Amino acid sequence: MLTATRVQAPSSLQWVSLGTAAFLVLPTAYIVYVAMTAAPAVWTRLWSTRIPELLGNTLSLAVGVALITLVLGVSLAWITVRYDFPGRRIWEWALALPLAMPTYVLAYVYAHLLGMGGPAEQWWQLVFGPDARLPGPQSFTGVTMVMALDTFPFVYLLVRSALQNLNVSFEEVARACGVSPWATLRRVTLPLIRPAIAAGLALVILYVISDFGAVSLLRYQTLTYAVYQQMTSRYDHTAASILSLLLVVMAIIFLVTERWFRQRSRFYQTSGRYRRSTRHHAGPIGTALITGYVVLVFGAAFGIPAAMLIHWSMEAISQGALDTRFLGFIWNSSFLAALAACGAVIIGLPLAYLASRRPSRLNIACLQAAYAGYALPGPVAALAVLVLFTHFAPALYGTVVVLIIAYILHFLPVGLQSMEPALQQVTPNVEEVARTLGCTTHQSLWRVTLPLVRNGFVAAWVLMFLQTMKELPATLLLRPVGFDTLAIRVWLEASEEYYQLAAPAALLIVLLSLPALMLLVSKDWRGDAQEGIR
Amino acid sequence: MARFPRILYALTLALSALILASWPVQSVDAADKLVVYSGRAERLIKPVLDEFQAKSGIQIELLSSGTTELVNRLQAEGDHTPADVFLTNDAGSLEHARELKLLRPMNMREVDRAIPSQFRASDNSWIGLSGRFWIVVYNRNLVKPEQIKSLLDLGQPQWKDKIAIPNSGSEYLQAGVSVIKTTFGDERTKQFLQGLKANAGSQVYQKSSQIVEAVAKGQVAAGIVNHYYIYRHLAAQPTAPIAAIMTDQQEGGMGAIMNVTGIGVTRASKHVDSAKLLIEFLVAQAGQKLFADLDKEYPLHPDVKADPALVDRHSFRAALVPLARLAELREPTLTLIEQVGLR
Repeated sequence: MLTATRVQAPSSLQWVSLGTAAFLVLPTAYIVYVAMTAAPAVWTRLWSTRIPELLGNTLSLAVGVALITLVLGVSLAWITVRYDFPGRRIWEWALALPLAMPTYVLAYVYAHLLGMGGPAEQWWQLVFGPDARLPGPQSFTGVTMVMALDTFPFVYLLVRSALQNLNVSFEEVARACGVSPWATLRRVTLPLIRPAIAAGLALVILYVISDFGAVSLLRYQTLTYAVYQQMTSRYDHTAASILSLLLVVMAIIFLVTERWFRQRSRFYQTSGRYRRSTRHHAGPIGTALITGYVVLVFGAAFGIPAAMLIHWSMEAISQGALDTRFLGFIWNSSFLAALAACGAVIIGLPLAYLASRRPSRLNIACLQAAYAGYALPGPVAALAVLVLFTHFAPALYGTVVVLIIAYILHFLPVGLQSMEPALQQVTPNVEEVARTLGCTTHQSLWRVTLPLVRNGFVAAWVLMFLQTMKELPATLLLRPVGFDTLAIRVWLEASEEYYQLAAPAALLIVLLSLPALMLLVSKDWRGDAQEGIR
Repeated sequence: MARFPRILYALTLALSALILASWPVQSVDAADKLVVYSGRAERLIKPVLDEFQAKSGIQIELLSSGTTELVNRLQAEGDHTPADVFLTNDAGSLEHARELKLLRPMNMREVDRAIPSQFRASDNSWIGLSGRFWIVVYNRNLVKPEQIKSLLDLGQPQWKDKIAIPNSGSEYLQAGVSVIKTTFGDERTKQFLQGLKANAGSQVYQKSSQIVEAVAKGQVAAGIVNHYYIYRHLAAQPTAPIAAIMTDQQEGGMGAIMNVTGIGVTRASKHVDSAKLLIEFLVAQAGQKLFADLDKEYPLHPDVKADPALVDRHSFRAALVPLARLAELREPTLTLIEQVGLR
């Protein structure tokens, strides 16, 4: 009976997963095809003019942001998990808030605040004389800071959850054996949270190299920005495809590295002797230092920009910028984001399930195929989807379907990043036990696996919802007529520096993202899954 | 296990149902509705379209995006395009759309009477509505107007780190370079572009309004923009220390580089009569005044006067390259731009 289901069942699931993977990989394959069949002259010209600069800019930005988010994310996670200080519960939650703030909004707020003649410079000149200049936000430093402030919660959230799930007995054993605190940290704790750090950094890096909004507002030339420029200024997409191919290769290298990190350290929580670590009480000086640090990061990443948005929105609203059209924008944004997130979870489920439960080469390849989409920057995903649809299903062109598919293609990997570990953390033993106790495969799936991974899937849904809500380039290129979203409104106004007019829509994006974010942070989703096992 | 896929199917079905439920929103096909693809900034076009909507009762659906992007989109959509009208601010792109057979030749007496023939396609596939010039904006505290006689002066080394330029994706820049290339030849144009690239450094902007802003703040001394951005900025901030230079006016010089905003009806449009009404509205004297004044552009109708704030149209010469040629000149121009490696 068992063997019968085993042979039969995967095949239908496998077909679904194969079909999905093929579908997901098609756009990337198309881009690669266009790039590889390009005339050598185009390649040579790009190599001799743009590519070295773009590669350098993109890589240095990725590395710079990764380093800063590593420091911010890990330190903040450590502080909130291992220390007790006044207001800890609020800060724990607040530090995830930058995820609700689109990068391009942060970019435009800082372009104003730190820009030429902006408030920061005026203050600076009061102190240091009228000729003193601040380094502008339109620089490597500026872009790196903005991107890091916006993306550190990826690392923070994942590391925090890893630290909470960490069995403190491991550390205690090390200490009992006479290992110093530092060595314990290095040899026990860090290896245990390393997969979380790697996953967080992978998210950050992929986000950075595929970002379009912030780099274009701050005029920092990266590959993705150049692709968008090529796409919107040329009739012929060869050069855009070549630059995209470089991006895809770069992203795949990052993903493979991350996977290798995770593979090297896979731990299962097996015994019931799990204990949380106790919190250190921070003394008065410690409290002051911790609070100062947390307030600084939170203020820069969320507090100040949000205050600016509110201030600008009030001005814009008093000028009558908010009309009934806004209701339509709100509906469009939430509708698209919810639909894309649902679709992605459904599509991702068989892929993630098969790859973690039956990690055959084929199944893993299918899963990897889905990750290819993240490497496609928004404009390229849009281009590929557009061309495929006009060839094969022209009737669907110009409808939301096309847009949703581009979103799924682009954001499914974000979801998979948390669906996959959720499935992996359930040790196969639990399912096997259920089966020895007389459950059928189907029952064990329903009664054991799904409840355990549910939380990881909720997290995946929320992450994809948040990302879609903020998405810009694909929406710009594929939106149906009369289907402007809030992100589009922000973009149309902010790209012409009408900051006040852009503010209400930006603020609404933040507000609409908050409930989803609260859902994500209010519970430690993966931690609960673990408790379920006990 | 066997039921796992079935649940997926059920969920997928539910999702499709949701999408289908939203379908009618997309495919409303009212007779008196016009879908306008516009390559102009929304704020520069929407008020005029709103006025038309109020007058005619024809509902306008507007999609604002980049010019080339929209040509690409029209081409990809082919016969399925929802667009009835394509309106944008580069004659080269309009002519290119005509060559791709995306636009429909029009026979309209109102147009022949109102718009001089050099501002239209030979078969009226596209019709110019307003004119603009690519000029130098300078900061009055940092530059004396006699320092800049020609656009090409900005390629000289003394302007290092002092100028701002649009990015190479801008259709204005491409059209401008095409005109310079036709007038001065490849070699001088290339030198000019190399100088421009070196002088601008990282001051390469996506939007003309940002360039004007940078000049007004003194971040750079001068920049190249379309003339109306200066007047729009001055209308909002009358004290800004900026002014315009109409370049290349010396004896035997190139003349100021001109481009038009134009409109064309798509070949696939099913609302040609409504589209004609829109064009009639825009080329009539009242429409011309409204359209040109909103954007601070020059009306093309010979009897309609430009906004008095603008430099008098009769006081300067325009370059002699025909607008329709901008389309064929574009590819070689782009190659040159890429060779130089402008951002």
